[in-house]
Amino acid sequence: MAYHAQQRVDQTSTGTPKPAPVILLVDDDDITRTSLATRLKRLGYRVIEAGDGDAGLAATRTHRPDLIILDWMMPGLDGPSVCEAIRADAELKSSHVVLMTAHDRPDQIAEGLLRGADDFLSKAASKQEVLARVQASLRSSALVREIERTRDDLNASHRLLSAKQQELESELQSAADFVASQLPQPGTPAPGLLMHWAYQPSLALGGDLFQVSQWGTDTLGLYILDASGHGVAAALRAIALMSFLREDNLAKAVGSYDPGAIINEANRRFPLTQEGEYFTLWVGRLHLPSRTLFYAAAGHSGAFVHSVAGTSEWLSAASLPLGFDTETTFETGCTQLQVHDRLYLLSDGIYEVPSPSGELWGRTRLQQRLEANRRLSLEHSIGETMATARQWLGGTVFPDDVALVGLEVLEQVIPVRSEP
Amino acid sequence: MQITERRVGHAIILNLVGELTYANRSAFKGAVERSKQAGCRHLILNMEGVRFLDSSALGMLALLAQSLKASQGVVSVVKPQSYVREIITLANLHRLLPVYNTEQDALAGERLPAVG
Repeated sequence: MAYHAQQRVDQTSTGTPKPAPVILLVDDDDITRTSLATRLKRLGYRVIEAGDGDAGLAATRTHRPDLIILDWMMPGLDGPSVCEAIRADAELKSSHVVLMTAHDRPDQIAEGLLRGADDFLSKAASKQEVLARVQASLRSSALVREIERTRDDLNASHRLLSAKQQELESELQSAADFVASQLPQPGTPAPGLLMHWAYQPSLALGGDLFQVSQWGTDTLGLYILDASGHGVAAALRAIALMSFLREDNLAKAVGSYDPGAIINEANRRFPLTQEGEYFTLWVGRLHLPSRTLFYAAAGHSGAFVHSVAGTSEWLSAASLPLGFDTETTFETGCTQLQVHDRLYLLSDGIYEVPSPSGELWGRTRLQQRLEANRRLSLEHSIGETMATARQWLGGTVFPDDVALVGLEVLEQVIPVRSEP
Repeated sequence: MQITERRVGHAIILNLVGELTYANRSAFKGAVERSKQAGCRHLILNMEGVRFLDSSALGMLALLAQSLKASQGVVSVVKPQSYVREIITLANLHRLLPVYNTEQDALAGERLPAVG
């Protein structure tokens, strides 16, 4: 059916006239059939004839006529039975069928309609009535075919779009896998330290990234960055900044692992984009023997020390994001970590989680949760905090990227896990 | 976001109402571009009606401050609501865009901004 319709469109689009509509005439009475066929041919239609119900059904399958005119009374399959067979066939069911009767009793008409006919034609109908009914039926049939063609076109477009979508999603997934592979392995990043984290980008690809790795001897480098915006562009920019923050690159580009110096250099190298996109960044440098943490931040508010013996504090101050002002100087701050202290690096996405009524979870509630979770292991504390944030949200998909990295200073020194 | 523009002397005041976010940045950028083309050297953003500002809007504001500074112009912010004021302060943006309590203060180029 779709093939027929397509053929017609092609012909009309090349400017050639439409082919004549095809009418199938099914009647066992040769005289009636031939007489009507002659009349219809004279009117310009292409007519196919069949002498009984089975032949009519076969011709319907072969020719997919625009209109089928069926005699009611026929040996073997009668007209209404052919109608039923057509309606039961998925390929043929939208065919336009007119039943022809010698009588037009209301009960017979009702039965015919119930069994699948679209219209009736009396054998005694005048030439004008036959013409009018055939034309009306062909108009309906053309509309149905138009709808079917549109449906087929839509289905084809949908299949094409789905295929493209799948391709795109698979590319996004492999990009997301690459980003995930850049994140640190949970465990012991250095002797005497335990690390766990949770990461949930708002889209497949996130603009928030973090790292915890050795920078030179006796020093652990840690950072968390947030590229403004979401999705592919933000992720690509985040990876670019991550490359800048690699240990070997810092040695060359900055000549120091001092957090302030690193951020000052990053501030020069990562200006605002034409679209106003930028990064916020928190960088820490933990001197392992003395447990002294040096840190600096550019517009990033995300590091919190939960201290058991000492004072809990947020390791950030109001500062411009990277690239806002090249003349800004970022200073390095310093704090002392104690045994059992927990240091959390976190993206603002976790405390800016809105409740269904729009109220933000907020830093204070986050801090209270992290402090209350002190009784749990570091891994469970992170898991439980994420679960509480989702509870506040009343959902599972955060509007912004969410990262929560936890480091715990252990009492005894655990040897660094060897790489597989 | 609704934006109305007024010229007062050499300054243009943009009265912003709604949410200043990534989604409606084109309206904001359009109004800013018109002001620049009109030769405005002092752009005043009245944010009394701005309920929300996202991270993308912060970047737009910083970019605007940079571009006006490059042409010896200045951008001021007037009367931000508490949430917006907090975001501006946290990002230290008031160092680039002075924040005032009234349009008169901003017009007078008061050296005592309301934040910072």
